Amino acid sequence: MATFEPVLTKGVGQLDLTDVAAYRKNGGFVALEKALKDMTPESIIAEVTASNLRGRGGAGFPTGKKWGFLPKDGRPRYLVCNCDEAEPGTFKDHMLLEQTPLQLIEGLILSAYAINAAHIVVYIRGEFLEGYRIFMRALSAAREAGYVGDNLLGSGYSADILVHRGAGAYICGEETAMLESIEGKRGEPRLKPPFPANAGLFGMPTVVNNVETLCCIPHILTRGAAWFASIGPPKSPGPKIISVSGQVQKPGNYEIPMGLPAGELLQDYAGGLLPGRTLKAIQPGGGSSAAIFAEDLHTGIDYDSLAAKQTMLGSGGFVVMDDTTCMVRASMTLVRFFEYESCGQCTPCREGGQWVHRILRRLEAGEGSDADLLVLNTINDTLTGTNLCPLGDSIMPFLLSVLRRFPQEFAEHVTLAGCPFDPARRMVAA
Amino acid sequence: MSADRPAASRRMVNVVIDGSALSVPEGTLVVEAAKLAGTSVPVYCYHPKMDPVGLCRICLVEIEKTPKLQIACATRVTEGMVVHTSSERVAQARNGVLEFLLLNHPLDCPICDKGGECDLQDFTMSYGPGLSRLTEPKLHKPKRVDLGPTIVLDEERCILCRRCTRFDDEIAQERNLVVIDRGHRSLIGTSDGGPYRSYFSGNTTEICPVGALTSKAYRFRARPWDLTHADSVCAQCSVGCNFRIDSRFGRIMRTFTRENLEIDDGWICDRGRYTFNYLYEPTRLRRPLMRRGDDLAECSLDDAAALCAEKLGPAARAGRVGVIGGGRLSDEEAFALQAFARQVLGTNNIDYRVHLQKFASPARFGARLIDIDDASLVLMFGAYTPEQAPILDLRLRRAVARHHTQLMYIGPYRPHLPVEAQYVEYTPGAIADLMMQLADTVHQGRTESGDGFVADIARRLAQAEKIIAVHNGRDPASVSALDRLLETLAGYNHRVGVLVVGSQGNARGAEAAGCVPNLGPGYAPCSGEAGMTTGEMLKAAADGALDALFIAGANPALTFADGALARRALENVPFLAVAEQVLTETAALADIVFPTASFAEKRGHVTNLEGRRQAFGQAVEPPVDVLSDAEIIALVARAMGHAESVSPQPAALLAGLVRAESAAERSVGDLLPRAKVDAVQPAAVEKVDATHRTFTIIPVPHLYSGGGAVAHDPGTAPMRPRPYAIVNPEDAARVGVVPGERLTLSGSGGSIDVEARVGPQAPVGVALVLADMPEAPANKLLDASGFGTATISKAASVPEQRSLERVSA
Ligand SMILES: Cc1cc2nc3c(=O)[nH]c(=O)nc-3n(C[C@H](O)[C@H](O)[C@H](O)COP(=O)(O)O)c2cc1C
Ligand code: SF4
Ligand code: SF4
Ligand code: SF4
Ligand code: FES
Repeated sequence: MATFEPVLTKGVGQLDLTDVAAYRKNGGFVALEKALKDMTPESIIAEVTASNLRGRGGAGFPTGKKWGFLPKDGRPRYLVCNCDEAEPGTFKDHMLLEQTPLQLIEGLILSAYAINAAHIVVYIRGEFLEGYRIFMRALSAAREAGYVGDNLLGSGYSADILVHRGAGAYICGEETAMLESIEGKRGEPRLKPPFPANAGLFGMPTVVNNVETLCCIPHILTRGAAWFASIGPPKSPGPKIISVSGQVQKPGNYEIPMGLPAGELLQDYAGGLLPGRTLKAIQPGGGSSAAIFAEDLHTGIDYDSLAAKQTMLGSGGFVVMDDTTCMVRASMTLVRFFEYESCGQCTPCREGGQWVHRILRRLEAGEGSDADLLVLNTINDTLTGTNLCPLGDSIMPFLLSVLRRFPQEFAEHVTLAGCPFDPARRMVAA
Repeated sequence: MSADRPAASRRMVNVVIDGSALSVPEGTLVVEAAKLAGTSVPVYCYHPKMDPVGLCRICLVEIEKTPKLQIACATRVTEGMVVHTSSERVAQARNGVLEFLLLNHPLDCPICDKGGECDLQDFTMSYGPGLSRLTEPKLHKPKRVDLGPTIVLDEERCILCRRCTRFDDEIAQERNLVVIDRGHRSLIGTSDGGPYRSYFSGNTTEICPVGALTSKAYRFRARPWDLTHADSVCAQCSVGCNFRIDSRFGRIMRTFTRENLEIDDGWICDRGRYTFNYLYEPTRLRRPLMRRGDDLAECSLDDAAALCAEKLGPAARAGRVGVIGGGRLSDEEAFALQAFARQVLGTNNIDYRVHLQKFASPARFGARLIDIDDASLVLMFGAYTPEQAPILDLRLRRAVARHHTQLMYIGPYRPHLPVEAQYVEYTPGAIADLMMQLADTVHQGRTESGDGFVADIARRLAQAEKIIAVHNGRDPASVSALDRLLETLAGYNHRVGVLVVGSQGNARGAEAAGCVPNLGPGYAPCSGEAGMTTGEMLKAAADGALDALFIAGANPALTFADGALARRALENVPFLAVAEQVLTETAALADIVFPTASFAEKRGHVTNLEGRRQAFGQAVEPPVDVLSDAEIIALVARAMGHAESVSPQPAALLAGLVRAESAAERSVGDLLPRAKVDAVQPAAVEKVDATHRTFTIIPVPHLYSGGGAVAHDPGTAPMRPRPYAIVNPEDAARVGVVPGERLTLSGSGGSIDVEARVGPQAPVGVALVLADMPEAPANKLLDASGFGTATISKAASVPEQRSLERVSA
């Protein structure tokens, strides 16, 4: 059974961490008090850099390095918190927002202090209505307690937090689309460069960080970079919350040390597969990630180990599929999500997505042909790697990984003129 | 190229494109560098006038040492870059993008306006797949969407390159055209769901790379390969945009931009673009007309010329003749008209000015349109460029939006501008005074200390490195006060310049050609005593002191400030000859009407507001009995026995004009001599007694107002405003005016019926009345100052619908 002592989720489920006193008792605001008293912004950035913390939003970019990119040209800077979590199979930020909002607030103020941000904006996914309410209550409590607002703890540093709610677009989780959305425009990714560090929100230098990334900051400052860096592989260390879903005994959010083998997460944390089932595929990093299979269970859950398997840690959404799952149907469901969420700027993403979706839908309905399989097998060359933002490149990875692994399953949909997992059809075929 | 593109510094870098080595300025976009290298990269979303957005992905190229293909439209060259624009990988990517674009494309090329000049057709032929791998029905989207008065949109043909929406945002700064919905369900529409109304809408049909945005005027009318092109210049306003006229079998089908970076930057406005179908309406004059009692009846050209000769001869000998016009003629014809007045009729009674404009040129500090691009401050008064010089306004919008140019508008009512501007409420009669105060304040260096808004403006002027003034040459006092101010600023090393917006398309050309009572061609003082101004001629005609008037391309009955005087003069003068394209209010009062050729039907030159003389070619032949103004003038001159005095030939006329100008150059110094003006000054607008129903009348311009071509053009008809008057909400409440109701405005020269509008742009006590509308001529309410007073009451009658087939008055 799991032995890792939780860091980010410590007390979650036991204490009411939305309460300032309870959060303090749990070790909260120690870092903020220490930092505002004894630490310079530069030393915080140095500490975060030394911790090797990598962004938890998906791309895994080193956080200290990102902060260091901000030009020192006197323009006001902004810190934006990405709480738009909409990646299929991912629900960790949702939990952090609702369960420990003060931890996020502490992380925000610390980060804003480190980069000397003039304003903080938290972009909360529109559907997180309850999370938004909880966060707003926590925010006013923190403000009353003097952790947010003017002249924090007598340090002379002031910071306030502005909350912006999304309106139901996955693409607004992409950082530049998020900036457009906050600016009141259509939420669509910008052409880069310029990067947000140079020209972000309203053209000003901006840092965008994920909720979980920000939640790590207080702990790095209280317990030290060396402690953080010692958890898991040195190049992608730290505690990590994984959202486990799919056909397992105990789906849910689990905080693990980076590098934990996938099999241990599945067995020790999530209770293993359902009785009598065998493993077919796992998406280790949300809907955008390519699948890993039974022989990959020894693979560590961290950025580099998963990258070596041609997939990614991504957002940390761990979706488990067993032998009862139809790969055509699973792919169809995912592709439908991406084609529906495509902002429509890029030709390959906009047109290719809907085409692939229509093909899969037809295959699943028993109306597919060999020509369709040929398209699925070749379209990746023109659909992936040709788009402006990573959404377009997320349409194919899972489909391609299972198409290569289970080609006969796709072919069967053509020869049987239907889905072999459909019980009625199985009888006919037999 | 506009200066704001993250351009290209002067440092050169070496690059290799498809094997050819070249050196280009650092920062050049790969797509532009490829052009220099003699190859071309296909583009859809990229447009050289707009910021790169990198959406369509057709321009992917291979750059050595970069693993992924890169978009040529947004990648900038760096030293040593090696680019391949037609490698195997690039071909595959292009083929892929085209396959995607064609998936659900309707392929209705055979009936598509764009067929033959379509980038989707062309690139598919060059780089695309021959066959579609789509095995299911295409997805459908709305076709024939009525986007607004000028455009029909086919959403199925749209490839979502967004050039149109970006044009409306970046170039027009109007932000009305937008993408609706998301992904492949995206549609082009307007932000408020209403019609797409813009003075610049036609440009989107041109930059649309496919046949999605089609122009109502051109829809299903011709195929590109059937069109004959003629290079022309728009003469609808004084900006002088360059454009091309495309005709088929002798009939104009459409007009098209012809980029001149220094004038139009590749755009034209919708008035310029769409005002040509009036030529094919029944209201277009095709035969000479002669008065028979109350009616005008058709006659032969010779009879018309003979009657002119018979009437003009004695009037000329008696010194009781006048000539009005020039601002709507070519330079050559304006020269011919003044020669006709001076040499054939022997009078200096010639004047092109039939509006409030007194001068069409600045006496000094003449600026160029491109001076707006990097101006720190633009000071506008009198002129109102959004309605009177649209493409100048486009340049100004961009300068304000992109270069932090400050726009300061001084005038009697709040302007409606899409970009940020400072508004200084000032009545025209007081602007001279303001300029003088500003000059004094700047001169005495009091800009730092003083308070009040004069000091505030002076401070802004003092801080502005380059100042461009834009006005309409209406008020001599404010113009000379402006010169004083600019001289003071220039003395403190500010760069200064002036642009005078012409009241007519070729106002400046007419002025330069000598269509004023005291100056001949080239601004040389004319021999003999100065003649009468338009105002003086009309006064004399009304008083019975003139026997004949010859008017070419002018409609004083509608446009002259004192409308009552103009109508009285034209009715009373014993003989009136008018050369016109349609039966205007003025032509309807004539004894002889000559039908004239339009600019598309002749060749010559026009001079724009900068003083730049531009050649325009002939696109189509005029109808049989329709002559150019020069030919008409020459015909009448010959009938009077002066064949040698006026040539009908543009080349000969131009030679004469140029000769006269170079002769004049020796006598005219740096300071351009000023045309003689009437004594009337613009009045200060007086605030009237708040208990009264009497309002001060201020006429307001509109791009589509006027009694000539636009009044008869079916293409511009949907954009034409209905006569209206705007009053302040306070006044509306006080006198009980309800928006939308009919009002009667009664003034000294009669009354007009208009639609009531209520808005804060009208100062209290003022009614802003749409000017130059034949169905409700605002000049009935005005005096020579250009202002007037009128009482407002509810109209008794319902509005009469004006039909295109008008009967003569
Ligand atoms: C389509 C798309 C959706 C994304 N959604 C999220 C999201 O919901 N939450 C998030 O933190 N990052 C999301 N990202 C990643 C962000 O763009 C960005 O990399 C991240 O917020 C940076 O924070 P970090 O450095 O702390 O990871 C998304 C990226 C893409 C391309
Ligand atoms: S890849 Fe897709 S989601 Fe991303 S910008 Fe392009 S069209 Fe939009
Ligand atoms: S209507 Fe034309 S210009 Fe506009 S997005 Fe579609 S294809 Fe592009
Ligand atoms: S701005 Fe003036 S010159 Fe240019 S197209 Fe319009 S009317 Fe013609
Ligand atoms: S032209 Fe380069 S992406 Fe469209």
